[in-house]
Amino acid sequence: MQFAIPAVLILALSGAFSLRFKYVGFAGALVASALMVVNNPLLLMVFVIALLNLASLDLMKGFLRGVDYTLVGLIFVSTSFAFYSQSLAFLLTMFVVASVPTYMLVMASDKEIRMEVGIKYITFMVVATILFMIGAILMVHASATSSMGLYYLAFTMLLLGLAIEVGAGPFHEWVPDVFDSADPIPVSVIASIAKFVPFVVAFKIISSTYMGGDVLILITGIIAVASMFIGNIGALTSSKPSRILAYSTVANMGYIISTLAVALYTEYVYIAFAGAMLLLLTNSLGKIGFFVGIKEDAMPKIETYILSLSFIGIPPLMGFWGKLYVLASLVYANLVWIAFFLVINSAMSVPYYIRLIRIFEDKKDFRKLAGYLVTVTAVLMLITVVPPNWIIESSRILMKYLAIGGV
Amino acid sequence: METAALMELELNPGIWLMLFFAPILASFPIAFIWPKRQDSFARKLSILSVLGLFVSFLITVFILFRVEEGRYVYPWLPSIGINFVFVVDYLSKYMGALTGFIAFTIGVYGLEYMKDDYRLGWYWFFFNLFTASMLLVVYSDNLLMLLIGWEGLGIASWGLIGHWFRDDDELSYVGVIDRKMGPLKMFWSPSTGGWRAISTIRVGDMPMFLAVAAIFALTGTLDISRIPWAELFENIGMAGTVILLFAFLMGPFTKSAQLPFSEWLMTAMTGPTTVSALLHSATMVAAGTYLFMRVSWYIKPWEIQLAGVEIIYILVLSLGLISSLYGASVALASRERKVLLAASTMSSLGLMFASSAASFWIGEFAIVVAFWYLITHAFAKATLFLVAGHIIHETHDRFLGGDREVFSKMKLTALVTLFATITLAGIPPLTAYWVKSAMDEVMEKLVHEVNILPFAFLVTISVIYSAFLAKFFALNFWKGRHVHLHLHGGGVMKTAYTAMVSMLLVLLAVIYLGIDHAAEEFIKAGTVEVSFMVGILVLVAYVAGFIKPEHENFIGKILYDRVYVMLLNDYLIPKIGWAIAWIVDIFNRFLDFTAHTFIPALFGGISVSIRAVQSGSLERYAKIVVSFVLAILFIVSIVGWF
Amino acid sequence: MYAVFIPAIAIIMAPFIRGRAAAYFSALTFVVSFFAILYAFVTKAEYMVDLFTAFEPVGRIYLLGDTVSHAFGFTIALVSAMVALYSYPYMKHRFEEMELNPSTEFKKYWFLYNLYAASMLWLVYAGNLILLYVFLEISLIASFLLIYYYGYGNRVWVGLLYFVWTNIAGVLALVGFLMIGFENKTLALDSIASVSMLAWLFVFIGMVVKLPGLGPHVWLPWAHAEAPTPVSALLSPLTVGLAAYILLRIYLIDQSFIEVYRSEIFLYGILTSVVAGFAVFKQKDHKRLLAYSTVSQMGYILIAFTLGTAGIVGVIIQYISHAFGKSILFMSAGAIIAVYHGLRDLDRMSGMHEQIPTIANAALIGFMNLSGILAIGMIGEFFILKGLVDTFGLSLDAILLVVFVFIISGLYSFYTMKRIYYGRVRDYEKAKVNRLLDTPLYIIGAISILFILPPLATWFVDAVISFLGGV
Repeated sequence: MQFAIPAVLILALSGAFSLRFKYVGFAGALVASALMVVNNPLLLMVFVIALLNLASLDLMKGFLRGVDYTLVGLIFVSTSFAFYSQSLAFLLTMFVVASVPTYMLVMASDKEIRMEVGIKYITFMVVATILFMIGAILMVHASATSSMGLYYLAFTMLLLGLAIEVGAGPFHEWVPDVFDSADPIPVSVIASIAKFVPFVVAFKIISSTYMGGDVLILITGIIAVASMFIGNIGALTSSKPSRILAYSTVANMGYIISTLAVALYTEYVYIAFAGAMLLLLTNSLGKIGFFVGIKEDAMPKIETYILSLSFIGIPPLMGFWGKLYVLASLVYANLVWIAFFLVINSAMSVPYYIRLIRIFEDKKDFRKLAGYLVTVTAVLMLITVVPPNWIIESSRILMKYLAIGGV
Repeated sequence: METAALMELELNPGIWLMLFFAPILASFPIAFIWPKRQDSFARKLSILSVLGLFVSFLITVFILFRVEEGRYVYPWLPSIGINFVFVVDYLSKYMGALTGFIAFTIGVYGLEYMKDDYRLGWYWFFFNLFTASMLLVVYSDNLLMLLIGWEGLGIASWGLIGHWFRDDDELSYVGVIDRKMGPLKMFWSPSTGGWRAISTIRVGDMPMFLAVAAIFALTGTLDISRIPWAELFENIGMAGTVILLFAFLMGPFTKSAQLPFSEWLMTAMTGPTTVSALLHSATMVAAGTYLFMRVSWYIKPWEIQLAGVEIIYILVLSLGLISSLYGASVALASRERKVLLAASTMSSLGLMFASSAASFWIGEFAIVVAFWYLITHAFAKATLFLVAGHIIHETHDRFLGGDREVFSKMKLTALVTLFATITLAGIPPLTAYWVKSAMDEVMEKLVHEVNILPFAFLVTISVIYSAFLAKFFALNFWKGRHVHLHLHGGGVMKTAYTAMVSMLLVLLAVIYLGIDHAAEEFIKAGTVEVSFMVGILVLVAYVAGFIKPEHENFIGKILYDRVYVMLLNDYLIPKIGWAIAWIVDIFNRFLDFTAHTFIPALFGGISVSIRAVQSGSLERYAKIVVSFVLAILFIVSIVGWF
Repeated sequence: MYAVFIPAIAIIMAPFIRGRAAAYFSALTFVVSFFAILYAFVTKAEYMVDLFTAFEPVGRIYLLGDTVSHAFGFTIALVSAMVALYSYPYMKHRFEEMELNPSTEFKKYWFLYNLYAASMLWLVYAGNLILLYVFLEISLIASFLLIYYYGYGNRVWVGLLYFVWTNIAGVLALVGFLMIGFENKTLALDSIASVSMLAWLFVFIGMVVKLPGLGPHVWLPWAHAEAPTPVSALLSPLTVGLAAYILLRIYLIDQSFIEVYRSEIFLYGILTSVVAGFAVFKQKDHKRLLAYSTVSQMGYILIAFTLGTAGIVGVIIQYISHAFGKSILFMSAGAIIAVYHGLRDLDRMSGMHEQIPTIANAALIGFMNLSGILAIGMIGEFFILKGLVDTFGLSLDAILLVVFVFIISGLYSFYTMKRIYYGRVRDYEKAKVNRLLDTPLYIIGAISILFILPPLATWFVDAVISFLGGV
């Protein structure tokens, strides 16, 4: 973490130069990201996702002309920092730092600036950030003063902020619109690397301030289940791939939010965390792959299958292990009812993922880089053919950084 | 006549293997070649099949004369104590030889009878499979092993009844084509006949199978001669005994076509006549009664005076007599050659059941009598069937018919028929007379033990029986309507049934010469006054039947339609079954609709409404989100308050 | 033990072999497996091969070969081998019908087919519930894709329907597995000490969906009828029965659930079997008819589960006998489809014995297996009935129910025989049936009959009984 400041400096410089030379921005982002890499499998995987995001940016001609690399680099730097930071102030800062670059990215496209999308997105993000921040601070305060009533309120605010930020139902309204009308590449960034920080921060705050209360678990569960249902059902009749993926994101966020309910049981947090992170990785890889496909309107066939099946949760693909650990943590925490709904939802998701396969099945005309990117995402889905002990190990290590100092 | 405990003895297993597998393997060549070519070479392979039957026959004779009585054990499922156990005792050695002989003789007959058939591979395979199965049933001491044979009988019976699967030959039907009575179609095709046979038999076999499994569960052994029957019945109490034995006897009841399971035997006449002769008179249907005899032989009911056992034996006695009376009456009213014989077979089977059931009061002798009656009946009835087959062949007509021209042109046939009928009717001093006399004696003794009904039934049945046998002879060779004869060949067939009928003389000799220890008793019974009276009565009935073979009346019409027992097979049960199937179908459709149309549509609808939120208007979105946020926060605040 | 991995060679190699040889090669690998497993079975060999150790809750992942695995294993190997042979002429016909290029499609087909069959084979050797689940899902995907590519009717819809239902089944069971893992800190079969009621319930419900029991059974007629016939001939005989295998594995660890809900499960099994049995009579589509009969037969398995140790022997034998019988029957239905260009409407069939006697005879053997006549099913029924008496004594109602169920199977079997192969001969041309379309049926049939005779029967019963420790 000692390289955080140099990394940010490099980013700033390269960002500035990239206005002239596009690939300076790329190089700067690479170097900065590399500086922040920690020898932790999970972090390495996130790094790989950042790299994929960076590479995919090359597929658009972007008005940002290179600054986009810097922005993605910045998100990664903040993500990496968020994993290890134990200070509330830093965490909340990272929350903002990871979020703000997407405001700009979302407006980027090949030709013009898409203001309308930007406004929609930013509006929601601002609301989310405010709720999240206030909630977080109040939670810390409430736990310090042992004020239960306040804690309830604060927790809910944080949760709602998180839900809006990541696009969980029923606060998902921005997701289908943004995913559909923004350029696919920025969307792939929003849907992948940018999703880690909110959850990591939420995990840390919740588990270090938790004061008990079944109602909170219930609320978390309800929002999670609602999000799953809204996402999956919404996707059932969607026919545009970007919209399908939007709803799929909503559903996935539901799965991941359900792990926050487990975060209240310290014993099993590491499994819940592992599951959540693995699902985020799956979601990121899948979204990158598919949005690249949407950009090209074509995808390599076998890779499409792998990505879809991984989303459905077929072993031994990564998506399966994510769901497995989430289910396991839910079962351990005796939240079988959430597990049950997750199972139902998981089955419900089959038709639209198969529809995705069908949409891309016979389209073969894509750029080489796009092809490689999709292939890489598919191959990464396959690395869990060997049971992913690494995620559990990472998760256990990161548990040491879970507690926020001074709370 | 004490049956000592049977010893376990050694015998080369090759003999048993040959006994069962020789016929099956010998039928393989034709069975496999037939679907590919139906030329004269393939037809010649029939001879090979009959050779297989001959091998079996020789072995049964060998067993009869050269193999000691005892049990022969070979491992099968030793880990649960179930083995192949062959038993050679009084019942099985005779029954085996009888089966071997009749199967072989009818096999030879079939060489000519079936020579132009279109499905010889099928025919010989099932014919030989049947023979092997029957022999397995006969020699089995182990009930599970017996069940293998038993199932073999069922499947072979199905295969052979439906042999002419095309349903295109009127000669192969039963009943007057296109005749209807109310909702009932009074004619049956071979495929229907096969279906009826197997469906009825399944109804009996499954309870029997259960009983066998239950015996194993309760005693740990399945060897009929080793099962501690008395102990078993005492342990399971009266209700248990009744359930167990009744379930067990469902097999024999259905297989031997006792009421109300008789209809399948009538329509089994849609099969080739050889099949009717072998399966549906001489052996397979008798297997039911044989099994009852065999089991009773070792249960020794006369030593167990338990209420449960008594109830069952009374049941078998009554059912046997009632079925027998029914069968005889139906035969009396029948107009079809083979159906008449089928009904008469049913009648005889009833008598066998009744007589063996009498063993509960009389002892082992009653079983011996029943068994002897089985043997006599088998030879006589097989002869009559073969004759019927021959006449049908020559007249192309399955209804009774034939005037003196037939008699004069087919003299040997007529004489064989005459001899077989008078012998079987029980006219003194021919074979069946002695056996029937012993049966009279048995039933007479029951007057003291039960009541007079069994005896009364027996005499009535004997009289009717004799009358319809006379009718059969008279209407085929003497007084029937004129028929066209298409005489050609027939030498092999004649030889076969002459050989068959001559066995009755052999039996007679056995009785007169006292070769078997039962013979002495038969002679004694035959010289009693009552038996003689019955014999005279039977003779009178025969003469009357011959003089006036046809007499139309109302009761006759009902009997001609077999008292509408087919209502059960063709109307009631199918109606109930289809009604259930209909309900089930509705249920399935409803479930299918719910799961695959309604619920997806429901979710589709919800999905559309979820997507309808996406109007693109930021203002609207903000309203939704803010109201949700506020609502939730409000609720939580309230909850947190408390 | 490693013999079960021989089919892996076929997964990789067969797509590169052209024409008929690929079928022979695939079949060969499965046949080799079959003999190896049979040998292991007869010698009562038990294996345990460690693969990997994952963190809690997964625990030790290993391969487990015991009598139960072998019994299911050789069935799967044999049927897969025979269906592989059968696939060649059938799929060639199917590709032509779909106007696809056979040489490229066969590549896909052989890969998926072998993967599908092999994953089922490996499933029964999985020593860890997660590994087992992995193979379950692989088999699901492979079969789904086969339906999706080559199925009949609205194949995409049917494929989806199949996927969704079986996925629900699998994942519900997975939740149950996870609970087991939570309670025992491992999912390795040999280390699981107990299974709680709730975990059992999840596994049970999941497997009832897959098996399927009454209610969820509505998916099966669609999937099994519309799948390309070689796939039906694996789906119906092998795949659904694997639910029984999974239940059996759990049962062998902890029987509490079955014991507590014995009579409910028993009645449910009866109801399943009776309803499906009656439904068979109403079907007009050849393959749908067979599919309903599968449901009915799976009812037997549910019944047998409640009947103690003898019942468990019954479960194992019932699986085998149904696999043999139903694979023959589906292949016979497929042969008619292949020979008469998609003929599956029963109203357009009768007297078919005239045109295709070899298929008709094979179908007879299939139905004999189903109704337990002269085939291995007979021994299965014997054990089920023995278990019935062991468990319920001579109670009249239980006896009547089970006997009724058994009778229905026999009835619909022969009723169907009559409908299809007997009666008025229609004027279809007499066809020459490709030898690969009928020989495999007879091989399965012969083995199913040999299983009631020594030495196979002796070995078989001895191995199963000594594994279960007596009945």
